[in-house]
Amino acid sequence: MRGYGSTLGLYQSGSGVLYRVPLWLKAVVSLACAVVVIAWRSPATSALALVLTLGALTVGAHRSPARVLQMLLPALPVLGILAVYQGVTQGWQQAAAVVGGIAACLLAARAVTLTTPLQDLLDGVAHLARPFRRVGADPERFALALSIMLRSIPYLAGLFVDVRDAARARGLERSPRIVVTPLVVGAVAYAHRTGEALAARGLGDDDATDDPPVRRAPDGD
Amino acid sequence: MQPAAKADAGPARSSRPSSRQRWDTTDLSLVAVFAALIAALAILPGIPVGPLGVPITLQTLGVMLAGVVLGPGRGTAAVLLYLVAGLIGLPVFSGFSGGFGVLAGPSAGYLLAFPLAALVAGSLAVVVMRRAQRFRTALLFLACLAASLTTVHPLGIAGLVVNAGLPLRDAILVDAAYLPGDVLKNLLAAVLAVSVHRAFPRLLARRRADA
Repeated sequence: MRGYGSTLGLYQSGSGVLYRVPLWLKAVVSLACAVVVIAWRSPATSALALVLTLGALTVGAHRSPARVLQMLLPALPVLGILAVYQGVTQGWQQAAAVVGGIAACLLAARAVTLTTPLQDLLDGVAHLARPFRRVGADPERFALALSIMLRSIPYLAGLFVDVRDAARARGLERSPRIVVTPLVVGAVAYAHRTGEALAARGLGDDDATDDPPVRRAPDGD
Repeated sequence: MQPAAKADAGPARSSRPSSRQRWDTTDLSLVAVFAALIAALAILPGIPVGPLGVPITLQTLGVMLAGVVLGPGRGTAAVLLYLVAGLIGLPVFSGFSGGFGVLAGPSAGYLLAFPLAALVAGSLAVVVMRRAQRFRTALLFLACLAASLTTVHPLGIAGLVVNAGLPLRDAILVDAAYLPGDVLKNLLAAVLAVSVHRAFPRLLARRRADA
């Protein structure tokens, strides 16, 4: 868990068309993949989506088909159970349609995160939030919240390991209350400290003048 | 994020004279850290349950906690932030998954129900923490249970029907497999929330004494 922070950086540098395609196009195609697969559920649709995403990753990102299929490994248990269940109850065609469609969507999403640096991804989301400014939203604060969240995950995961070790030393690791209470209290305390640190730097505050350098705020990782 | 902020301006703070109140930096980082907490709880190894293998994780515990600890506005914002992070492809959903792909997966209904669950649980928790002096754990447990029964389970079932192609009756049966674990997690959320509110009594206070 302690090493989780490093796995958050899903981006792997490489060459290929996908690295040069603008983020919004990749995001739209990835979202369209999910919509199409759900709306037209058939083995043909799923097979087409699967072939297209596989092709995009092998040709556009220069990954070997084996490497691409490896990306599905974490989802394999769920997909496998789903395939067997669908196959037995609804027939194998339906199973292929459902599981193939989900696999294609997972790959399409992975193609985006694989070829887009995390920072660009965050910038893209902040950019996406811009139209909401009219209804009172604040893209900068949103981006700030997102980056605080990302740097808090490794801290909390490490805190969880420490707390669990402490509980185990007392022979109490089977009690979720003992293990999770210090984690949640610690999270709230951590949030207060972070909030004070931000306020001290004049970041994310209402009174902040034009364009504070939000992105560089919590430089912890 | 901010529309929710406006809706919740009342309990969050009322010291500033401006008509439209906003969150201060502590509120902002509470939202962000709770989004991270949900993610941290979600990526702990989950147990695949039922024929569809939708994993049981502490993810829903984090969602309920965000609601009952932070209240409806900040709690919902924390869950929305978590969902956005997951949907743009960060591996914060259970099983290290992320991206729009999960919208086609069998657990999409559950994910989309989470912000509503935090909203309902948070609204009820505010009432409980301000009105009730006794039986707070039991009342908060009922608040969480009400939230999960009115939001998570109906939408989860809908997701199973639409995405996994299950008949409604089967979907309800699959969903029922999660009920016992859910009850336990809601109980845990209530116990934890009481501890947290004891440690930080001002979290859901009507107005801030400081600031």
